[in-house]
Amino acid sequence: MNAPIKLPSGRIDRRTFLALTGAAVAAGGQAHAQKRGGTLRLSAQSNPSSLDPQTGNSGSDHVILYPLYDSLVEWDYATLQAKPGLAEKWTYPDPTTLVMTIRDGITFHDGTKCDGEAVRYNLLRAMRHERSNVKSDLGTVADITAAGQTVTLKLKQPDSALPLILSDRAGMISSPKAMEEHGRDYDRRPVGTGAMRFVSWADNERVVMVKNDSYWKKDRPLQDGMVFQVIPELPTGLRSVTAGQNDLVYYLVPQQKQLIDRARNLGSAVGPSLLCVHAYFNYGRAPLDNVKVRQALNWAVDREEFNKATHGGIAETTSTILPRAHWACATELSGHFSYDPDRARKLLAEGGYPNGIDILGIGYAEQLQVQQQEVLMEQMRRAGIRMRWERYTGPPTPAAFFAEKKGDLLLAPWTGRPDPSLTYQLVFGAGSYFNAGRGEGAPGLTEALLATRSSDDLAVRKEAFRKLQQIITDNALHLPLLFRPELTAYSAKVKGYKPNLLGKPKFEDVWLEG
Amino acid sequence: MLANAPRLRLVGRRLVQFVPVIVLATFVVFGLLKLVPGDLAATLAGEYATEERIAQIRQDYGLNDPFLVQYGRWLWNAVQLDLSRSFQSNEPVLDQILHRFPTTMLLVAGALLISLAVGVPLGILAATNAGSRLDVAVTSLSSFGVALPNFWLAMILVATFSLSWGWFPATGAVRFSADPQGAIWHAVLPSIALAAGGIAEVVRQLRSALIEILSSQYVRTLYAKGLSPSAILWKHGLKNVAVTLLTVIGLLASRLLGGAVVIEAVFAIPGMGSMVVRAAIVKDFPVVQGVVFTMVILVIAINLVIDLLYTIVDPRVALK
Repeated sequence: MNAPIKLPSGRIDRRTFLALTGAAVAAGGQAHAQKRGGTLRLSAQSNPSSLDPQTGNSGSDHVILYPLYDSLVEWDYATLQAKPGLAEKWTYPDPTTLVMTIRDGITFHDGTKCDGEAVRYNLLRAMRHERSNVKSDLGTVADITAAGQTVTLKLKQPDSALPLILSDRAGMISSPKAMEEHGRDYDRRPVGTGAMRFVSWADNERVVMVKNDSYWKKDRPLQDGMVFQVIPELPTGLRSVTAGQNDLVYYLVPQQKQLIDRARNLGSAVGPSLLCVHAYFNYGRAPLDNVKVRQALNWAVDREEFNKATHGGIAETTSTILPRAHWACATELSGHFSYDPDRARKLLAEGGYPNGIDILGIGYAEQLQVQQQEVLMEQMRRAGIRMRWERYTGPPTPAAFFAEKKGDLLLAPWTGRPDPSLTYQLVFGAGSYFNAGRGEGAPGLTEALLATRSSDDLAVRKEAFRKLQQIITDNALHLPLLFRPELTAYSAKVKGYKPNLLGKPKFEDVWLEG
Repeated sequence: MLANAPRLRLVGRRLVQFVPVIVLATFVVFGLLKLVPGDLAATLAGEYATEERIAQIRQDYGLNDPFLVQYGRWLWNAVQLDLSRSFQSNEPVLDQILHRFPTTMLLVAGALLISLAVGVPLGILAATNAGSRLDVAVTSLSSFGVALPNFWLAMILVATFSLSWGWFPATGAVRFSADPQGAIWHAVLPSIALAAGGIAEVVRQLRSALIEILSSQYVRTLYAKGLSPSAILWKHGLKNVAVTLLTVIGLLASRLLGGAVVIEAVFAIPGMGSMVVRAAIVKDFPVVQGVVFTMVILVIAINLVIDLLYTIVDPRVALK
């Protein structure tokens, strides 16, 4: 049986993350030799929106896409820094040219070769296909050429974010032959180069995969197959693992940690993630076009109390959109906003609301979300902010705020992206869907955003992100609250599971004992 | 042939009456789906939405057309057994329904069977011992059964029989065609949870109907003729409550179909109930419409069968 991992209270920093990751591995039995074989059965909360990485539209798809596809670039579990994937190396011979070298000898599950031309085909499709959801990810790419195993991307402007962008959907490479053969049906008939080969997908029921016998990574895969059982209710998913019908369940909520600890046959792993629970503001119109009001909202919230009340105190509270463990995080700003209702009242008065203000929030109708809304409502009331919530169920919730422009703010999580510039671009960029007002939130923001992509030197980029975050914090462009830890529970026979900072589990190092 | 004429007329009459029922039910559901707050195209576009993509989705799915045009198009296709494709998965809705239909039917049939197997003996016991402590106990138990939330009972059953004792699976389902024994094994706990209210319903209805029959004048005459109480019960009493029992079965079957929605969620059963819940949340209108259409036809079919059974149990029904 795995020893349960004790969680520290309050925030989790990089050092703690590494320690926890190590603890999870140790609990998973790193001391024992890795074993091969067996089918890993997982409880997945969501049905995939598509198994074509370019047409899918849900952040929860990744966990199911990872075994099927390799991406051009991969990332380090603890820091999210880029490392080679299908592309064994890449260089910027000049700021507007990215040259990638694709590993030789790799084939897709249908036996066709994965070479530079296949990669070029994929990237062009991502940029041009009418159903592609990753067009904006490759918005800086002007042209792509391929020769042998080399792919050259000519850029419209310097873009050092591209390698990590290519570790996400846009860089997951499919078989051109399969995409052409299946057309629209490719959504349901994926062919990648990943450790697992697709077998079947029964909608809202299960996705079945078997191992790719000719996988290029040494000693992988460790499992003979994987089955993702779609179980939307997290308590039911956890019960399925307790009862031995599944081996692992991910994306659990902190409230379930006690249940896992009480179950004698379960182990668990927890790690920080990029999943930021925050409130998006519509600063394109009154009253949140007023910086004083936005600042007042930020000073009105007691994040530690919010953490204890809604996340059992195990989340990392924040004033920024990146966790402290992230390489690009401006850590000096992470605790910028503290709880100060008097200051919030003063700011409201300065902003022209001496008698307080009415704010309409949009939120999810699910129980845990409603709890969060009520805590915020009570905290804000103490600062003279009268919150009212309009609730929706599921995907219509963000659509009501971003597309229909309802409400002043939306309380919802942001799942994060491998490259932080994409997070900033999507959440705060002018014209972005996730910027409900669509305008530039503060002077200099667009230039600061561009600066984060202008150099591939990590130190230079880090400084650019600090400046960008400073603008966002000074102008209080959203209400960051905390980072929800990634909580995973698994049966005693599951070994080697490691959480990652992105918060989207990968199972390449997992093996089954017994 | 002539003997069957009244029954055929009954079937014909019912079928004609069912047409407006189907149109009305699907129209109302279609209308309600349109009233659900939120922009469908924006929802379908998901997390990676752009304004262009949303506009394109609106165009692709004909969402810019007037409401009646959209409904008319759906109905015209539906009568040709084309229930359209899922907005989410792009799979034919009919295929999805046919895939999940057997799982839900097994669950509902199991619950119906348990309701009758437990409810009928208890109802008879209570009626033949009316006023006794046994009657009070059975009646109280059935009141408890009516009040018992089936999702709560489901969780208690799982905690006890699956998690603690490991006798039954806690979640999921197996297709009957693939593994009949496994399918039944998976369906035991959900069927019991679903049947709790059904048992109570059968007990109460059967008890009151049987008490009425057993206290009627012709039963008193049968006693006077010297017939034994068991003969009176089995030959005359139960035969006369058969119509009541059929009515209860018909209503129960429809109710169990609805109750399956909750039970399928608790047990993560991939049936039609969980399918329609998920579809409603993500605004997958063709799936919701398809499931409603199927459910309506199913309820109508159940009623038709019950009507026909009435004519067998009591031929006067057909003549009326």
